[in-house]
Amino acid sequence: MKRIDVVLLGRALRESGVAVTPSEVVTATSAFEVIDQADPEAVFLSLRSVFTSRVEDFPVFAELFARYWNRTPEKYVEREGLSKTKLQVRPGAPRRGLGYFLENWSTSRGEDGGEVKVPGASETEWSAEKDFSSFGKDDLDEVARLARRIVKRLAKNPSRRWRTVRHGSRINLRRSMRQSLKTGGEVIALSHQARKPKRTKLVVICDVSGSMDIYSRLLLQFIYELQNSFARVESFVFATSLSRITGHLRNKTYDHVLEQLSAKVRGWSGGTRIGESLAAFNAEWLRRIDKRTVVIILSDGWDTGEPEQLAHAMRQLQRRAGRLIWLNPLLGSSSYEPLTRGMQTALRHIDVFAAAHDIASLRALEAHLVL
Amino acid sequence: MREEVQKIKRLLEEQLYVSDAAVATALYLSMTLGKPLLVEGPAGVGKTEIAKVLAKALATKLIRLQCYEGLDATTALYEWNYPRQLLHIKLEESSPSSEAEKEATIFSEAFLLKRPLLQAITERERAPVLLIDEIDRSDEEFEAFLLEVLSDFQVTIPEIGTITATHRPHVVLTSNRSRDLSDALRRRCLYHWIDYPSLEKELAIVHARVPAISEILSRQVTEIMQTARTMSLSKVPGVAETLDWATALVALNATQVDRDVLNETIGCFLKDEADIAAFKAQINLEH
Repeated sequence: MKRIDVVLLGRALRESGVAVTPSEVVTATSAFEVIDQADPEAVFLSLRSVFTSRVEDFPVFAELFARYWNRTPEKYVEREGLSKTKLQVRPGAPRRGLGYFLENWSTSRGEDGGEVKVPGASETEWSAEKDFSSFGKDDLDEVARLARRIVKRLAKNPSRRWRTVRHGSRINLRRSMRQSLKTGGEVIALSHQARKPKRTKLVVICDVSGSMDIYSRLLLQFIYELQNSFARVESFVFATSLSRITGHLRNKTYDHVLEQLSAKVRGWSGGTRIGESLAAFNAEWLRRIDKRTVVIILSDGWDTGEPEQLAHAMRQLQRRAGRLIWLNPLLGSSSYEPLTRGMQTALRHIDVFAAAHDIASLRALEAHLVL
Repeated sequence: MREEVQKIKRLLEEQLYVSDAAVATALYLSMTLGKPLLVEGPAGVGKTEIAKVLAKALATKLIRLQCYEGLDATTALYEWNYPRQLLHIKLEESSPSSEAEKEATIFSEAFLLKRPLLQAITERERAPVLLIDEIDRSDEEFEAFLLEVLSDFQVTIPEIGTITATHRPHVVLTSNRSRDLSDALRRRCLYHWIDYPSLEKELAIVHARVPAISEILSRQVTEIMQTARTMSLSKVPGVAETLDWATALVALNATQVDRDVLNETIGCFLKDEADIAAFKAQINLEH
């Protein structure tokens, strides 16, 4: 192995998805200088400890190392730049989904407090328990109350960090001392400190495709309430493509929101492209997500896209988010098992996988949201 | 194997740490290139031990920073000794020195409480080993702060000025992977992964650490531990548990592990009621 091979190995690793930076290549070459270059074990172990930074990368490294060790020098063939594969948007089969509901919301809205008939409800086979497919006005109010309670919990949760406050039980010695210098070392005004509240952020990404239609109404209500009682919520909906609805939900009455959305909503229902939608989300919003963010995905996992794309998007998301929660309405049915291709790939990258088919399941959500 | 690497391996083994080429190479590179070493692996496989043993082997100081959520600069770097400053101001109240002089005194090094990171940087004699334990428990803000300290080993204290390291400490970071560390931190470090040891290695560790143990007992202990690790337990026992158990067996004068002995001492390596039940069920099935 020569020095150039070390550099090439670094490049090959990068192409195989191991994050190798130029500075690591520099480190690798200097490591290469100080070891016994004839000893394969030493070279292997040294380069591995420089190039990899997580144990998951070990197999890729071992494979590529074998290729570069003792190989005859050959001209390195520059790979052609991968042309970006254009994503084709397949028009999904038109189904009755949130779009249908939104267009007809005024007629389906029960003002008398009786049962609210949500379109598509009859299509469902999971009606053993009273789930979101049939709901009274009281239940809608309950959802609203629940959302507000969750928000309260989120806002109150104290972090381990301190901030200066006017009144508190703990004295901030550092500041008090500093201030006492003004009065010649006499501590007159004490400065206090208290725990900073945890600034948890919430991102809700809701599937509004046809297969979700019976749940959409309730979930939308839930998101609406979250959005309006908590400042740090971002909401998105997707079916075949992603749209941000944070602005639409904020500071308006629920009726007004529905009116606005129904104008925008055409083309929402239909097939689901979860992977693509999440990739779109990542492209634009991933940077805003940090360890204080709880990401909630509301979907049944029926994906017509590529499972690899979904897996990649989920992996990215999970690595950045404080917690990644997938709420699947179908999980409420006892016979359901997450066997769909999309759901199976996604499962590996989820922190919390829970049901969201009735009020009780939303209530259980509360515990997961507090980081 | 290069001479220096072999020397490190020997030094580690003198401290009863059963090492292999991978650990020795990683430590050698970390010391030669002056890069922090990030050690990851399951709980109880001896990650922290690496730093302790290294400090002993190099006959230098071990400075340990235990991370936890909410750890901040005042507990990791430095803090002023406020009570002492207050007292000093009181005592000096009637002295003729000016306010500026007084301030210079109370913000001098004598009133500085050095926390681990500053200690590591200001160590005079020789480069200490700085162990940053369980970095995954601290929050991301602290990680970013740590990156800054680790990149140039200097600290600025507004009242005093910039302090630069006299000797670059040997830095070892450990992580249990309870949270994914940032890529920036990972890239700055050399990486070493410790897994549960193989049967032979674990046997060697038991013999090194519990020399009084008999051949048959040590073999039984390690074999049971290796089996336990293949079961799906909520808390998989590490090497630390193996050593605890071996020590307990020796103290109890057990000659071999039979059912009674196992029942009495199972708490040494399984710490969870459900795990104990699962383990017993599976062992009985095998017999």
